Amino acid sequence: MKSQNNGFKIGSIVLFLGLTIYYLFPTIQWQLEQRHINSMVPSERAQYEEENAAKLQNLREESLSLGLDLQGGMYVTLEVGTPQLLLELAGEYADDQLREIIQIARQRAFEQRTDFIDEFVTEFETRNPDGLLSRYYRSDADNITRRSTNEEIATYLREQRNAAVDRAMEIIRSRVDRYGVTEPSILQQGNNRIVVELPGVADEERVRDLLRGTARLEFRLLPEPEEINAVKQQIAEYFSNQMEQEQADTLAQAEGDSLAQDSSNDDVTNLLEVFDLRGTNQYSFGYTAGRDTSIVNDILAQEDVQSFIPRNIELMWGASAFAEDNGTELFELIPVRNQVELTGDVISEARVAFEPTTNAAEVSMTMNSEGARRWSRITGANIGKPVSIVLDGYVYSYPTVQNKINNGRSSISGLGGVVEAEDLVNILLSGALPAPLDIIEERTVGASLGEDSIQAGLYSTLFGLFVVALFMIIYYRAGGGIADLALILNIIFILGILAAFNATLTLPGIAGIVLTIGMAVDANVLIFDRIREEMRGGKTLRAAIDNGYSNAMSAIMDANITTFFVAVILYSFGVGPIKGFAVTLMAGIVASLFSAIVITRVVVDYLTRDKSADINFG
Amino acid sequence: MRWFETPNYDFIRAQKIAYFFSGALVIISIVAIFTMGLTYGIDFRGGQEFVFDFENPVDVVEVRDQLTEPLGTTPEIKLFGSSSEILVRVDTEMDITQTEDLILSNFESIYPDNPVTIEKTDLVGPRFAEDLRMGALYSIVFALAVVFIYIFIRFKGWYYSAGAIAALAHDVLVVLGIFTIMAKFAPFDVSIDQTIIAAFLTIVGYSLNDTVVVFDRIRENSLVYKTMNFKDMINKSLNDTLSRTVITSLTTLFVVTVLFIFGGEVLKGFAFALVIGIVLGTYSSLFVASALVVELQKRAMQAK
Repeated sequence: MKSQNNGFKIGSIVLFLGLTIYYLFPTIQWQLEQRHINSMVPSERAQYEEENAAKLQNLREESLSLGLDLQGGMYVTLEVGTPQLLLELAGEYADDQLREIIQIARQRAFEQRTDFIDEFVTEFETRNPDGLLSRYYRSDADNITRRSTNEEIATYLREQRNAAVDRAMEIIRSRVDRYGVTEPSILQQGNNRIVVELPGVADEERVRDLLRGTARLEFRLLPEPEEINAVKQQIAEYFSNQMEQEQADTLAQAEGDSLAQDSSNDDVTNLLEVFDLRGTNQYSFGYTAGRDTSIVNDILAQEDVQSFIPRNIELMWGASAFAEDNGTELFELIPVRNQVELTGDVISEARVAFEPTTNAAEVSMTMNSEGARRWSRITGANIGKPVSIVLDGYVYSYPTVQNKINNGRSSISGLGGVVEAEDLVNILLSGALPAPLDIIEERTVGASLGEDSIQAGLYSTLFGLFVVALFMIIYYRAGGGIADLALILNIIFILGILAAFNATLTLPGIAGIVLTIGMAVDANVLIFDRIREEMRGGKTLRAAIDNGYSNAMSAIMDANITTFFVAVILYSFGVGPIKGFAVTLMAGIVASLFSAIVITRVVVDYLTRDKSADINFG
Repeated sequence: MRWFETPNYDFIRAQKIAYFFSGALVIISIVAIFTMGLTYGIDFRGGQEFVFDFENPVDVVEVRDQLTEPLGTTPEIKLFGSSSEILVRVDTEMDITQTEDLILSNFESIYPDNPVTIEKTDLVGPRFAEDLRMGALYSIVFALAVVFIYIFIRFKGWYYSAGAIAALAHDVLVVLGIFTIMAKFAPFDVSIDQTIIAAFLTIVGYSLNDTVVVFDRIRENSLVYKTMNFKDMINKSLNDTLSRTVITSLTTLFVVTVLFIFGGEVLKGFAFALVIGIVLGTYSSLFVASALVVELQKRAMQAK
């Protein structure tokens, strides 16, 4: 009976060990492979990597992966802008009331941690007790008609949001693939968030642009020069009046409070102080230094200033600096028509090209037949006039139409260089995002910090292990030695479990292993102490061992189950690194239970198989 | 080697002093938390955080002074490990690219001969920070609830649950209090972020480990020594398990201390929380949890 039982235990140990080795094998191979590659000279290395690309790729994917905190890289959480999506879906039906409702719903959803769409519907219904949301949302394709109930529309909006998240993930995947990151991970989190992990990526700014660029490409006409001039004049007048007023105020105040004068000078309130209204040509609105663009934006956003700008005109910044003045880059503000003549979805092909005379990088685009037909009509009707090419709210160029363009070709110039042109092509080809994405969390770890962390983590794990192992042998003698064997197997098991579940080893994960080392001996301490106690009570060694194991069992189980619960809670509430910690903690508990109860028992039984055998528990 | 061969300490009597001591610790912690406020890391507060690595050491105060004006707000600046690595934490609504460029260009003009590299950048949006904060709160509350239910089922007495939970709350509160006070002068980062919450939950798990082992022995002894009075039985159980309690605490304390000293800067705060958590957890399972069980059981009996 007993030997049969032990046979089962030995069988399970062999099986567990076999599985662990099986799962850890690619990791070991990968490590050896990397050592091999690193010892080669660069030219040899490149050739070797190319020849074995498939094999290496396979090994890398199957081996235990390291978290971004250990190998360096970038972790970004993006949120799909549901408010903007709702506004966009309403399209031409959107009015000021809708904008207000969206604004309020957004605020409330944030404060009360509720769903934005729920808040949106509630707010609409409070304002319009009998109103139907269908006044904003109609869609033949989705069977949303004038008579659809608000509930149906809420469902429709939710579906649209889900679709937007799916589409955004698809687009991000395609953009990231083109960027060329090994082993990127793109996952949905909650109902409107996307988590992107890019190991080894160092150029944060480029990635931000890549992820966030909505790729909303538009072709728009510009207002007539006379129209622009009239607006400029009104604004100039308004601000010079204000300046006079201010000077008068200052004079009046001069004898009084000089402090107030100081503080009023700190904030720029007058557009003319930072903005040159003259412009570079008759179509331009004016220009300013790069650092002042946000001030200009703030001033232009003021209600009284807005009243000078006709509803059908929008002011947009040029995408790149047009000139440099004393080392300051100057940016142009360009008035464009509100109406969009053509959008980027007609673009069928895009590639990087070089402007023949200046050799500057630009993006050359080809339109599909429908787009080409409309493009030919638009250009034909506007010969001699400028057409602006707007991408994500910035004017890239506004070339003058020379003649009617029939072949559907156009190009975006004014780019920062070849890399920017390549990224732009990539963004254009992956398609436009259905809604803007906000970066709500971003973490970047440099490769060198990652390397330091690996070493610190590894050394402290090994050192901790050593100290504990030494203590166990001194305190429990032979028993301690057996526990140490279990401890070493325990760590191998943890790594095996992590590899099997395709988990990622993070720095907090290493901390989890370190902690498990400390706690793993707990089960053995419980058992050995119990054995000593039983022997003190006068039992024979054999009986003491049997009793020791069985009596310690309930305490061991209770202690481990509760810790396991805590790990599960950590796993379900935590994100990123916390999850890694929770996973190793869970793996650690399972592995340590197995090694402390099963493995040590088998060894102890083996050593005491003869009646006369003696084993020292210190 | 044998320690605590046949100990016979009167824990229950020592618990009178423990009441006073723990009470004082908890009150000091609560006062500290309410007057000084918890120091949140960017996880729970939102903002931007950078770690810069200079070639040569720099002066923290000088960096802070030089960056305050261009950033328009006083950044939090700390050494990060060595004296040439610094952590900069900024509350700003600026784009992270802009903040980064601004800080780098300022460094260039303050330290022209001291090249700098960026080791780490973190950005947490305000709404996301709120989410993380609530997630952390829920997970702690949820963990305590699960523990309460589990112990209630296993030990069939609400006073065991109450005793264990009170001990856990005691541990978490005091660690929080120590963190609050330490935030003023600790040479490493002790602001409360996600990893610290993970440490708290680990402390909960650990402290529970100890408590449950003692409770387990109480259950066992209560079957064997049916005539013994409750107080003496708890005392006997504490003494029976004392050797194990001390040994396990020591081995665990060894490893987390190693982690604290050698684990690298990123894990300093985390490991520190574990070190004090283990000391407190051991103390509370010996002197707080079982004392409360005795107390509560006595009252429950009187009420009957």
